[in-house]
Amino acid sequence: MAATLIIEHEIDPWPARVGRELVTLKLSDAAGRAVSGARVKLESDMAHPGMKPEFGDTSEVGPGRYQGRLAFTMAGDWVMLVHITLPGGQSLERQLEVKGVRAN
Amino acid sequence: MFAQTKEFPSAPVESPPFDLLRVPVIGRLLGWRHARTALQIPALIAGIAMIAHGLFGPTLAPKNLATTVSWVHFRGALVLVLLCAGNLFCLACPFMLVRQWARRWFHPWLTWPRALRNKWLSAGLFALILFAYELFDLWSSPWWTAWLIVAYFASVLAIDGIFKHAVFCKWVCPIGQFNFVASALSPLEVKVREEGVCVTCHTKDCIRGRRDASGLVTIQRGCELALFQPAKVGNMDCTFCLECVQACPHDNVGILSRPPASELMTDPIRSGIGYFSRRPDLAALTLVFTFGALLNAFGMVSPIYALESWMARLMHVSHEAPVLGTIFIVSLVVEPVLLLGLAAWLTQVWGGSRRAMLPLIVRYAYGLVPMGFGMWLAHYSFHFLTGMLTLVPVVQNAVSPLLGEPLWRWTGLPTRVVQPLEFGFLALGLMGSLMVTHRLAVDEEGGHPSRAFVPWAAVCLLLFAASVWLILQPMEMRATFMG
Repeated sequence: MAATLIIEHEIDPWPARVGRELVTLKLSDAAGRAVSGARVKLESDMAHPGMKPEFGDTSEVGPGRYQGRLAFTMAGDWVMLVHITLPGGQSLERQLEVKGVRAN
Repeated sequence: MFAQTKEFPSAPVESPPFDLLRVPVIGRLLGWRHARTALQIPALIAGIAMIAHGLFGPTLAPKNLATTVSWVHFRGALVLVLLCAGNLFCLACPFMLVRQWARRWFHPWLTWPRALRNKWLSAGLFALILFAYELFDLWSSPWWTAWLIVAYFASVLAIDGIFKHAVFCKWVCPIGQFNFVASALSPLEVKVREEGVCVTCHTKDCIRGRRDASGLVTIQRGCELALFQPAKVGNMDCTFCLECVQACPHDNVGILSRPPASELMTDPIRSGIGYFSRRPDLAALTLVFTFGALLNAFGMVSPIYALESWMARLMHVSHEAPVLGTIFIVSLVVEPVLLLGLAAWLTQVWGGSRRAMLPLIVRYAYGLVPMGFGMWLAHYSFHFLTGMLTLVPVVQNAVSPLLGEPLWRWTGLPTRVVQPLEFGFLALGLMGSLMVTHRLAVDEEGGHPSRAFVPWAAVCLLLFAASVWLILQPMEMRATFMG
């Protein structure tokens, strides 16, 4: 399976606000081919320790396109963890920064 | 004629204070010769694990031992133990254990310079730590947190490796100074049980220590912080090391109960300290403690970012340091000087006090300590209580897979439960500050004590209002400036 996995992400609305935001991820391999059939779970963690992380599932809405909702429970800097299990069973995790989540 | 007998009510018999060292099991454990080492060893192991995980573990702060233990558990447990017992964290200090081991090979030869035997340096370092915490967002960086712990160990070894006695504890350590000031509100104090016993004591081992028959080898240390038990008043500068308990040949030193904040209300000469009223350095430390409590909480709420952005535009700068530096100078210097200066002036002109401005400010600064402690309690207990269970998954993650899949959903009490507690701590702080400043006004202002009290009560109420406002602000933690 893909030795290099390219992950593009989009959060709607942007800049992210406090609440359950729509997260779209696009997975592709080094050749730019969409990676379908993966299991993708989301996790949001506050930059400060001791805060409750939030979790979200995604579903594949198009070839290599995964969508799900993820909660940001307070304003500030967050880190989004993307837990991916590829069709071949290989698991990996990516850490994406979501800076400056705004209060409503 | 009948002889008349007149019955006088018998004088109330004062019950002896509670003594922690007399409590079964706990008392025996604390009185054990190696009690301190036994408490320090787990703290040292935890410290080493935090350094290792901070440097080599996950970079995400909520998943790392260094950041989670330092900024959630240590700080929260520290203030709660200070509130419920005393300065037990200095007792278990792991830095002192390393120093103790190092001193087997390195013998300090210098005495701490006289010019530095005051709290100015430690007050400055305390403010500097608060500043670094905000500027480098230490709470979000396991790596920087680990290096901070390493720097602490290095500083202890460097300073106490060169200078005799417990220089680091008494004159340098910012955490220790925090504990010394906060422990004024603690219900327990290391104290002599019966003063009469000390009058007849000729050896004074509690301060001198004990040597073997040759007189060359110390077999029991006395107080390294120069606190002579019979003349010791309160918890200031006391690390609860219990050397005096071990040293006393008459078993006359206990860990006794006393009314919290009582040591702030009086001004006797204190062993190793002198008079509170003649220590502007100590008063400055208490002001950094009190106003720093509000400033530290202010760094975690939304309005700080709006203020920083506005100031950056005004100052035409794009880096956080000058903006944050200005906020710190205003909060820790300008604001206290103005507020306390105004209150002191009113105490003179309206309250009829004949004391000069500076002695008034110095004396009443101690009265604000309970309010400051209330804010530290509210802030740190919030993080601790809402996040106390996060230690479980973080430890699981650090030693996995031995402890199974980390339980990341474990956090702590809900905010709605903790917030009333926060208001309770603030209210306690306000009550404490009002009681202390009122007592100072009644005892020390000859003219119009009630009038002298009013300006200081106003300062306490203002700090309380600011603290409540801070607690009600939406929390926002950013590692980005003007993001």
